[in-house]
Amino acid sequence: MAKKVINSVKLGAFIIGGMLFLVLLLYMIGKNSNLFGATYKLKARFENIQGLVTGNNVRFSGIEVGTVKRIKILDDTTIEITMIIEKKMLKILRKNAVVSIGSEGLVGNKVVNIVPARIPGPLAAEGDILNTRKTVSTEEMLETLSKSNNNIVEITAGLKTTVQRINNSNALWSLLNDESIPRDVRNSISNIRLATVKARNMADNLNAIVMDVRNGKGSVGTLLKDTSFAQNLNEAVLKIQAVGNEAQSLAVEIKQVVTGIQKDINTGKGTVNALLKDSLMTLTINTSLENIQKGTDGFNQIMEALKHNFLFRGYFKKLEKKKPK
Amino acid sequence: MSLATNLKIFFNEAGNLSRFTGRFFKQWFKPRYETAELGRQCFVIGYKSLPLIGLTAFILGLVLTIQLRPSLIDYGVESQLPAIVGIADVREIGPVITALIFAGKIGSSIGAELGSMNVTEQIDAMEVSGTNPFKYLVVTRVLAATFMLPVLVMMGIAISLYGSYLGVNIHGVTSFHLFWKQVFDSLSFTDVLPAFIKSYFFGFAVGMIGCYKGYNSSKGTEGVGRSANSAVVLSSVMIFVIDLLVVQVTDVLGLN
Amino acid sequence: MMAEKNQVQNIEKPLPGEQILIIRHLHKSFGNNHVLVDFNLELKKGESVVVLGKSGSGKSVLIKCIIGLMKPDQGSIEMFGKNIPDINEEELDKIRAKVGFLFQSNALYDSMTVRENIEFPLRRHWIRVSQAEVNKMVLESLEDVGLAHTIDMMPAELSGGMRKRIALARTLILRPEIILYDEPTTGLDLITGKEIIELMIEIQKKYKTSSLIISHDMNCVRMAGNRVAILTEGRCYALGTYEQLQLNTDPLVKQFFE
Repeated sequence: MAKKVINSVKLGAFIIGGMLFLVLLLYMIGKNSNLFGATYKLKARFENIQGLVTGNNVRFSGIEVGTVKRIKILDDTTIEITMIIEKKMLKILRKNAVVSIGSEGLVGNKVVNIVPARIPGPLAAEGDILNTRKTVSTEEMLETLSKSNNNIVEITAGLKTTVQRINNSNALWSLLNDESIPRDVRNSISNIRLATVKARNMADNLNAIVMDVRNGKGSVGTLLKDTSFAQNLNEAVLKIQAVGNEAQSLAVEIKQVVTGIQKDINTGKGTVNALLKDSLMTLTINTSLENIQKGTDGFNQIMEALKHNFLFRGYFKKLEKKKPK
Repeated sequence: MSLATNLKIFFNEAGNLSRFTGRFFKQWFKPRYETAELGRQCFVIGYKSLPLIGLTAFILGLVLTIQLRPSLIDYGVESQLPAIVGIADVREIGPVITALIFAGKIGSSIGAELGSMNVTEQIDAMEVSGTNPFKYLVVTRVLAATFMLPVLVMMGIAISLYGSYLGVNIHGVTSFHLFWKQVFDSLSFTDVLPAFIKSYFFGFAVGMIGCYKGYNSSKGTEGVGRSANSAVVLSSVMIFVIDLLVVQVTDVLGLN
Repeated sequence: MMAEKNQVQNIEKPLPGEQILIIRHLHKSFGNNHVLVDFNLELKKGESVVVLGKSGSGKSVLIKCIIGLMKPDQGSIEMFGKNIPDINEEELDKIRAKVGFLFQSNALYDSMTVRENIEFPLRRHWIRVSQAEVNKMVLESLEDVGLAHTIDMMPAELSGGMRKRIALARTLILRPEIILYDEPTTGLDLITGKEIIELMIEIQKKYKTSSLIISHDMNCVRMAGNRVAILTEGRCYALGTYEQLQLNTDPLVKQFFE
């Protein structure tokens, strides 16, 4: 008898095992098609559903939330689709969300996309009809694409002629090939360097004078009380300022020229390139530019100091008052 | 033998088999019910076939996956391997191969067992011992085969899909969970239910033909061998015929 | 339990000279092959009749008609007051419970042990007996045939003679009133055959059963039969004791005794 009991146990386990797999299989399929589990229905109306069929997936912002349950033709221009949506979406999906039909890949299954509107609205409830947006069908897309293609053709044709013109322009090429230009550039750069050194020296001297004045040293202090002298000094300062401004704008211009040349040269060819690509050269240019900047900076400081000096305060205030007018 | 004689033999056989089947249905519903023997037959026919069917199903799933892989790579749908194997396995290969193995094992064993019982007068002895041998031997075996084959088919499908999972992992990598999800996602009720229902018919055919051939075997040891052999051949052919009929029916019903 | 006891009492009820099996005008044919033509035979209580005939003379057909495995074309077989060809399955089963049948090929169920084989008729005839009672009866039957030690063996493990004895034990389990022997010594060597015949006689004495033996083995005919019926050309050609028939000069009878 014991033997028989074991047989029954084995037989039972065998049958239950087989049936369990069947039930699992059916349950998983049922789960995939939302047969079980809590769902609710939403509707949407389209003019063209582009081959959507029942059983297609419904996505909310790209997440699968349901399937298309039913497709019904209401009249010749309206098709109503009924979607079953997982109940968890009840608290998320709003009535003003927009429904559209898309596809998985270029030739894949159709899907219904629900995209939330970014403005607050009431939550969608069972049986609500959602707004729809007409989507671009593949044909329409291809039509637009063909127009864009035509445009691209025109643009490339234009580009082609431009390039051809550049190629045919002798002036541009001769300019780029002219060996005298880099030489001139180099000369002007060394001139600039000299100028900047001088400007710096001058600024230094000026600085020393001003320091003396500020400290009210000897005759200078007394001198400064003389208004005529002050008038002269005023003019001198203005001149110095103008020189400083000029130096600054010069420096800016040089910088622009240099960067322009550098750009040209980086893309261009010939001797210009070779010369200007010399790192030593660029280093010198850079230091000179720095010097100019330092000089002008120093000058600015001086000007600032002058502004605060009791002697010149009134003058500067006047200047400021004039400005708004 | 002339064609006419062959035809006559064929129709005679078909008629006898039909009458035998009719007798089965008549006896099935009449008491007394041989439940204990039915249980024993279920154990022998169902449970005892599991190792064989499990092994073949496992190899089948594995080989099918390995064989399909290069073609799918050619079409660039290698990632669909579990889905394709799943559909092929559930819809056709699982039920039919399991049924054929079942026919080979059970059809022949029923044919030989009943054949030898017939030859050694055991069937007569049962009748003399107050037992309706048709009920005791035929009804129980046919029912056991009918109800056990679907279970075996389901188990066979599960095992061969596991084999397929290992097959996928030979060249690629997929997680156990992802594999089954892909399989389940690709299936629908119309894949599973017709396959499951047709395996009942397969089981019935195997049991019925095995019993018919065994019960009506000619006397002598040669008859036993012949009945076992013809039981396997006929039931294998019947499996394909039923498969054809089922696919036609599901096609007409729009279940494909 | 009660039914069993009642049955045993019924069997032991002595009715001397009563005919418990009457076969009248039995006809059976397969197509144009007329196997039995107007066969008549009577079996009295406690008596042992041997039906002697050549192979293919219709002996097996006769015995299968008696037990209801075949339906005769014509004639009546009366057993326990019922005409076998006319009664329904239920009544037939009741009569079969009182009739033992020893098959030519033993017909032991290959898939069952010796114990299960012997239990089988007891369980199948709806005889409600406790398991202990069944075990006792099985053992008793096996002891009657002297093979108690084989109780848990499979038939395939046994020799031909042992299988015959087990088959006999199986027919004995229901304490039958009539035992039908279909060629009990066929396929056995002479000595084993003799042992079986002795066993048959012993059992007949012990349980006071009537026997109908079908055989072409002259040893069996001489030892086991109170009367001998010679079946030739489908009818009971001659009937008498072994000694009477031995003296018969009819060539059809004489051929068996040469």
